[in-house]
Amino acid sequence: MTSAPYLLETRDLKKYFGGLYATNGVDVKVAPGEIRCLIGPNGAGKSTLFKLILGTYEPTGGTILFDGEDITHLRSHSRVQRGLSIKFQVPGIFHALSVEQNLRIALQRAVAPAARNDEIERLLVLLDLAHQRTELAGNLSHGQQQWLEIGMAIACRPKLLLLDEPTAGMSPEETFKTGELVKRLNAEGMTVVVIEHDMTFVRQIATRVTVLHFGKIFDEGTLDDIVKNEDVVRIYLGKA
Amino acid sequence: MEILYQAFGLFYQFADAFAFLVLCGLGLAIIFGMMGVINLAHGEFIMCGAYVTVLSARAGAPLPLAMLLGTLAAGVVGLILERLIIRRLYHRLFDSIVVTWALSLIATQGMLIVAGPSIEGLKTPFGSFQLGELSYSTYRAVLPLIALLLLAGVYLLFMHTRFGIRARATIENADMARALGTNTSRIYSLTFSLGAALAGLTGALYAPTITAVPTMGQAFIVQSFVTVVVGGADVLLGVAPAAAVLGLIQSTLTATSGQLIGQIGLLVTVIIVVRVLPKGISGWFLRRDR
Amino acid sequence: MRNLTSLLEGPQTMGRGPIFWSAFAAVVLAAAALPAFASAFTVTNVAFFLVWVFMALGLSLLWGYTGILSFGQTAFFGLAGYAYGVASINFGDSAILGWVSVVIALALPALFAALLGYLMFYGGVRDVFVGIVTLSVTLVFETFMAQTAGPEWTIGSARLNGFNGMSGMPPLMLRFGEHEILFDGPPFFWLALALLVLVYLGLRMLANSSFGNVLVAIRENPDRAEMLGYNVRLYQLIVFVIGSVLAAMSGVLYTLWGSYITPSSMGLTAAALPIIWVAAGGRKDLTATVISTVALLWVSQTLAIYGSQYALVLMGFILLFVVMFAPEGFVVTSVKAIGTKLQRRKAMTVSRKPS
Repeated sequence: MTSAPYLLETRDLKKYFGGLYATNGVDVKVAPGEIRCLIGPNGAGKSTLFKLILGTYEPTGGTILFDGEDITHLRSHSRVQRGLSIKFQVPGIFHALSVEQNLRIALQRAVAPAARNDEIERLLVLLDLAHQRTELAGNLSHGQQQWLEIGMAIACRPKLLLLDEPTAGMSPEETFKTGELVKRLNAEGMTVVVIEHDMTFVRQIATRVTVLHFGKIFDEGTLDDIVKNEDVVRIYLGKA
Repeated sequence: MEILYQAFGLFYQFADAFAFLVLCGLGLAIIFGMMGVINLAHGEFIMCGAYVTVLSARAGAPLPLAMLLGTLAAGVVGLILERLIIRRLYHRLFDSIVVTWALSLIATQGMLIVAGPSIEGLKTPFGSFQLGELSYSTYRAVLPLIALLLLAGVYLLFMHTRFGIRARATIENADMARALGTNTSRIYSLTFSLGAALAGLTGALYAPTITAVPTMGQAFIVQSFVTVVVGGADVLLGVAPAAAVLGLIQSTLTATSGQLIGQIGLLVTVIIVVRVLPKGISGWFLRRDR
Repeated sequence: MRNLTSLLEGPQTMGRGPIFWSAFAAVVLAAAALPAFASAFTVTNVAFFLVWVFMALGLSLLWGYTGILSFGQTAFFGLAGYAYGVASINFGDSAILGWVSVVIALALPALFAALLGYLMFYGGVRDVFVGIVTLSVTLVFETFMAQTAGPEWTIGSARLNGFNGMSGMPPLMLRFGEHEILFDGPPFFWLALALLVLVYLGLRMLANSSFGNVLVAIRENPDRAEMLGYNVRLYQLIVFVIGSVLAAMSGVLYTLWGSYITPSSMGLTAAALPIIWVAAGGRKDLTATVISTVALLWVSQTLAIYGSQYALVLMGFILLFVVMFAPEGFVVTSVKAIGTKLQRRKAMTVSRKPS
């Protein structure tokens, strides 16, 4: 179905805040099937790039192509309907609703009514939340909230999953489990782009790594290539 | 000469509308800018100021003193209500707004029970002056000057006093201000009280020109909302230009098509402004793209 | 049957199972039988209570379910009342044209709500500002109508009559050949009751549907809802129109009830009342809204013999008290308290059994 060589492509994407360049001409190309990790020091423009891709920000210039289609000026929900999905940095779940209800809201758009209950069961098991189904989402532990939101983000089977620091606040064990989950989703055909600081996690999952610095792409390649670049090590890895 | 008189007439109407909008909006805007709370009892603080002014003046106080008392009374009531009620709801913004509506209802209807449908008014001071065919109230001609002085006063207060600096720090980032040793809850109290006092002053200033009735707040509240919505969240930048723009629209429409059209014109302007500049005029000045 | 209850019950509404529905049926039947044993005065009074519930349900849907704080539902109430008045007075005593007037009186506020809602939600007006804009609209409507005292404010044969309000609308009627039902007294009461039952059940189904799920999602976290692929603005707009049509239903029924509509029905005090009814019962539940609206109207009317201001002061204090001490509303809070008590008792009897 996909005719474009890249699932996601940004061309000369720019976002200025006043005189500040948050992203200053970014060309990212993500092929179907990748797990791409975006790394870079704080303020490098990673989150801004996500917000541009999602339509939270209107870009100052440049274009965004998704699956060959220009989505630069679409509203967020239309982008999501085309197969984009996001897990926010701070879990964006519906705190006052039950876990089950959270998942139902996430999947009802794309799943036929008859199949919804089965799909919710499948997700609850996948997310290890089967015992918490009637619990209010706001009462879950932080790690569980993160997982619930990942569950909500994948409930519509997106083509491209964006994860903004999915392991923030997680224990090493939970982080590892999250990595395995991402790899499993990827094996099922989902392309993933991750903003991440935890290099162990990046090593666990990344097929390619993009380094952003001062709103531009600084380097790109496999993680092994990246760590060989002394400049990258200097600006980023050295500090980590 | 005739043209000059006409021009003065128009300018007078504009200045009158401008003064009314500034005086209405300022107290509301200060509270809103500070804590995001739209004080729906704003009109009742105005009523409070007017009643205290009228009653003290009739009890023999000279008018300026009576007005001062009206202002202070509203400020004190505001302070008490903030301490007792509003403060407990800061973490629930919608609820804190709804609660001010409850206060408004209690104040209006309670006043009807206590003081009856209306009280005897005051005479408008200073008489009038004549230009061309028309005569103008001198008192109402002074109000725009007072409005300008108040704007300047509020500007100085927020830009050049310790309170103002701390208040602005609290607006910018309350947690940080608290960490740096500002007693933010005291800032909130004082701001709420200041907003209430400014409403009281509005009531006091207009007391000699209208009949004080318990439901009089309603006559002010639409103009107050309109000024704040058009002005946007930044008190210092928003109120004056909003009042100028709206005053111009209202006075022009009133002069050409009557008072009703003037009012409708305000509302239509608001809806257009809201559509074009959701963050108001001050948001457009600051134009900080998120 | 099972399918129907699954639509009527769900996480977004309180009350489920045979006990609840039996009680519901009992209340509806008892109400329907009211004209048989109560005085005409009582029937007219209860009809008056029912008239307002539609607006309260609309506000519950807007504020409680979707998180849209509309302070100006009375604008649609008044617009519908006046529209019905103007249309029906011009159409005269015709049976069919009376119903056409009803349609006009609902369509006009719906169109206006669509326009205003479009400007607000697609213009990025959020949260508090929606409250201010809607409240300003209703207050300006009031001012506008209050200034229509002069004879130049006449539409066809209907005089708007300014401050004193419009009156003299003919009642609705149905004609089957020779037979004629005039919706006055008991028939009007039954009409209001039947409409209320339909609207209540319809809203329950709406709230528990996929659509209702999206509404609570928007209330809880609009950004997340948008990022799950829901067109948040469109949902807000649709709900705003639904809520406004419900307010308009109240407006039409009120105008029919008393053949009377005044500008003050759109004033600040009138606008506060729906907020109070909805907040007091529990804005996040339709049943709680119905119960508290009827109960508070009954209280207000009982107190009104001493003067309406006493009732209004009490309403103000009720709102103050609810917001401060029972923000979920009296009905919802007490149902939850009873629920946990029952659960505890159940747990105790269960744990006792083995010993």
